[in-house]
Amino acid sequence: MPQLHVENVTLTFGGLNALTDVSLTVPEGEIVSIIGPNGAGKTSLLNCVSGFYHPTRGQIRFGEHDLTHAAPNVITGYGVARAFQNLELFRGLSVTENLLLARHTHLRYGLLSSLLYYGRASRQEAQNRAYVEGIIDFMELEEHRAHPVGTLAYGIQKRVEVARALTLAPRLLLLDEPMAGMNVEEKEDMVRFILDIKREHGVTVVLIEHDLGVVMDISDRVYVLDFGQLIAAGTPAQVSADPRVIAAYTGAQELSA
Amino acid sequence: MPASRFTQTGNYRVRYTQDQTIFATYAEQLSLLLLIAALFALPLILPRAWFPYLTQIVIFSVAVIGLNVTTGYTGLINIGQGAFMGVGAYATALAATRLNLPFYLAIPLGGVAGALIGTLVGLPSLRLKYLYLAIATLAFQIIFEWGVGHAPLLEQGGVIKPPTPQAFGVKDSFLNHNVFWYLVSLPVLISLALLWRNVLRTRHGRAMIAVRDNDRAAAAMGIHPGRAKLTAFLIGSFYAGVAGGLFMYFQKGAVIEDYSLGLSVKLLAMAIVGGLGSLPGSFLGPLFIVGLDRGVELLSQSALLGRVTAFAEGVDVASALRPFSFGMAIVLFLMFEPRGLANWWRLTRLYFKRWPFKF
Ligand SMILES: Nc1ncnc2c1ncn2[C@@H]1O[C@H](COP(=O)(O)OP(=O)(O)OP(=O)(O)O)[C@@H](O)[C@H]1O
Ligand SMILES: [Mg+2]
Repeated sequence: MPQLHVENVTLTFGGLNALTDVSLTVPEGEIVSIIGPNGAGKTSLLNCVSGFYHPTRGQIRFGEHDLTHAAPNVITGYGVARAFQNLELFRGLSVTENLLLARHTHLRYGLLSSLLYYGRASRQEAQNRAYVEGIIDFMELEEHRAHPVGTLAYGIQKRVEVARALTLAPRLLLLDEPMAGMNVEEKEDMVRFILDIKREHGVTVVLIEHDLGVVMDISDRVYVLDFGQLIAAGTPAQVSADPRVIAAYTGAQELSA
Repeated sequence: MPASRFTQTGNYRVRYTQDQTIFATYAEQLSLLLLIAALFALPLILPRAWFPYLTQIVIFSVAVIGLNVTTGYTGLINIGQGAFMGVGAYATALAATRLNLPFYLAIPLGGVAGALIGTLVGLPSLRLKYLYLAIATLAFQIIFEWGVGHAPLLEQGGVIKPPTPQAFGVKDSFLNHNVFWYLVSLPVLISLALLWRNVLRTRHGRAMIAVRDNDRAAAAMGIHPGRAKLTAFLIGSFYAGVAGGLFMYFQKGAVIEDYSLGLSVKLLAMAIVGGLGSLPGSFLGPLFIVGLDRGVELLSQSALLGRVTAFAEGVDVASALRPFSFGMAIVLFLMFEPRGLANWWRLTRLYFKRWPFKF
């Protein structure tokens, strides 16, 4: 049963369409990639799904939930997590503290319990910490856990961004260029993490990525955006053979499948 | 259990709950207990003349923790903390005079009144940011002063004198008035500080810090930014209300001049000098500013200043110099130590924490 439905979404900024009549489906348990040249509208689409923008026209549904006009924190509560293209970490806080924040909606105790740090609050916080340490191990961030995020190397910050989204325990994970600016080795690590996330955590993944080699390798399905319009969709093999896709990428990038 | 919990070095934590405790070592725990015991013992050691100032430091610390909750930890500029103290002061005064409640019930009621009004004033924070919110809190400060000045119930801002409190059968005049209120305020400060320290290690405290640092990312974490801000106003103005109730008794009555814009600015000065968003700073700031205040007073009384300055006979030099000295303190700290006295405190502690290593 398909999970995420984007139906005829149009997004307009002062007369200009960032997205025009975009429709796509993301089935449960798949890795679905969205590719396209710079400024094609990929991030805008994620912003619509995660509630930071609201479509001018069209509808977005996730399972039984209508996301079209929902606020970002509500959408996170439905099980949709997002790793940002331009890092949006809490730079002054440590890696552990960043991840602890992602457990917010999973903790259920009131202000009074919080003030007294007794009963529910202390019990849940202990479990909470254990959960976060599990993610830190999984994403191989042990040696960085106590460091303020702002002091870490860019590649590590990117990984923290993904780890934090994973800590939300989402059903759908939106990754906006998680490998941008990484070297080959770091990219290989990230690919391994994404595959493990899908396999071990059973999370559906939407991936935006410019490295077409990676995209064609790990995606179950690929959508291609150009100037805010969907120009192709299908399996990696279908998409890389599509003449419109090749045309859109000529001059900009090589199809290095 | 690690072999030694007396020092940090070589003290490896093997369970997460150990990492979550407030005090990592017995040495830390012990030194805090000793400090608290010493504070309670001060009336036995220090001359009575010190207690007007010590009591002020304790009461202002309560209000400054509250101000730090909104401004320091949540990033909501609040220029109305003095008025929230005033709300608490008047509510306490009314509870004591009209309802004949004893002080230990009237003061918590002042806290509740502060929290109610503070949360209402915080409502615009759902929409407004930065300077706009600062202006909303400033507006409340002005409305409060004007409102009290026109309310017959509140003596139009004149003095409302509560009955002299009795605690456990002991009239406060039996002890010295200032010592009595010092001994009442101190446990209040300690418990409210501990409560806030608890909130900081739970989801509510983390949510406030997240909203301050990056509200987009906070929302992506499932945090409702508006709810976090209102919770901050609720806690922050509860603390202000309690401080106001204590201050009203300490001043032997509620009077509007005590809760003017000047007080709000003074509390902000304390928070900045102490270090915004720091619990130790919430004690160090009031200590510094009350000390500075006293210093200015002494200086202006000394014959030396009278001779070198051109002030005419009878001019109150202290009240002329006071705003100037606060202003200087704020500016100098913002320029040279924006993290406040708390940073010095942190560095000193770090030195002892790493002991016996140098770094
Ligand atoms: N808040 C905004 N206001 C105005 N225009 C915007 C806004 N956000 C995005 N756009 C425009 O929408 C278009 C699509 O931008 P978007 O960031 O979605 O592209 P992208 O595909 O993610 O590109 P990249 O690969 O560079 O990240 C661009 O022309 C951009 O200028
Ligand atoms: Mg983008």
